[in-house]
Amino acid sequence: MGYLFPDPHPISMDCREFSEKHLAFVDDTLAGIELVRMQRHTAECERCAKQDAKVRRALLLFRNLPAIEPSTGFTDRLEARLQEAHEHDMLLETTRRNLTRGAVAATVATLASAVMLAYIGSTVYQAEMTRDVVMPPVVAIASEPDLTPITTTTPAIVASASAGLAIWPVALFAEEVPVRFAHSRFELAKLSR
Amino acid sequence: MADIVRKQLNPAAAPTVRERLQAMDDSAVVTAFLGGEERAFSELVTRYQTRLLNFVYRTIGDREKAEDLVQEVFIRVYRHLHRFDRSKKFSTWVYTIASNLAKNELRNRSRNPLVLFQTVQKNFQDEDRPLQFEDTTSRPDDMYRKRHLREVVEESVAKLPEHHRHVFVLRELEGKSYEEIAEITECNLGTVKSRLNRARNSFAEIIAPYVD
Repeated sequence: MGYLFPDPHPISMDCREFSEKHLAFVDDTLAGIELVRMQRHTAECERCAKQDAKVRRALLLFRNLPAIEPSTGFTDRLEARLQEAHEHDMLLETTRRNLTRGAVAATVATLASAVMLAYIGSTVYQAEMTRDVVMPPVVAIASEPDLTPITTTTPAIVASASAGLAIWPVALFAEEVPVRFAHSRFELAKLSR
Repeated sequence: MADIVRKQLNPAAAPTVRERLQAMDDSAVVTAFLGGEERAFSELVTRYQTRLLNFVYRTIGDREKAEDLVQEVFIRVYRHLHRFDRSKKFSTWVYTIASNLAKNELRNRSRNPLVLFQTVQKNFQDEDRPLQFEDTTSRPDDMYRKRHLREVVEESVAKLPEHHRHVFVLRELEGKSYEEIAEITECNLGTVKSRLNRARNSFAEIIAPYVD
């Protein structure tokens, strides 16, 4: 069967594969067969074995660096800064609360004003809508008809009447008398101004 | 029953609040703090101050600044602990804050060319070649060499690119899992593995001349 399907885990390994799996090899997280293949490669390849040793030695040095401890004043300084931060936060909180209260009061006042204005507006509108339209009185002056008799002495009328001319122009003239009088009065008024 | 009665009669035998906090895991300590137990915060500081200091120091290479940043981490934790998602690990959250602060510090530094890591002394003589780390019981000349070794290691780490160094320190110094590192550095798992592999190889190359 082996000649039909290639072995998924051949025991030998090239340097590229070794390099790719080196991280897990150093961390010791490789599965059993992979670990064996890596170990076998280090035994066979001097260059990879040297690189592996170099990395492991460097990591050993780094991992064993002496740890540094916080300085003696570290805790006191931290406490002071925490206290300062706490006070600052409290101040901010108080300010925020006051601002919130102020904002709520302002909002309430604004809403109340808006409601009041709306009420006043609607009241005025209602009054405007329900009131009858009162127009100013129209003053018409009609002049009294002048009932005085026509006292014209125009010779033409006298002549025509006596001569028996048709009476209708006379009647027409008599009808126009008030208009003519009014016109003459109007002319007089204009001139007197 | 008798034990309970004995404890009630003798309060000294009952565990103190501090002892009870010490026995709790991080999650329980956080819950205690959020429940109003102020001493729980001191317990968190005690647990994490040295670890965070070493992590930040190895990342930025400046001890004083590292202390300042660790204090800043605790202040942020104090202020925002109520927002912490307690379904997650507290340590991952704390390291994420520290990691971000360290990254910001390095970014600010890169804008200020006056503050740089010290350069590594390259030409050690054979007799100066360090053998192991500082040990106060050693002779003065040994201590000198060991101190040199520590400096060389620290400076070699400092030579790694920032994103490699971050992953390297989290893994090799703090012992974080790949998944945790991915969460802290906000990278995917493949990137973490790739960076760690490169960081290990680079670090080995940098330090090799001084230890061979």
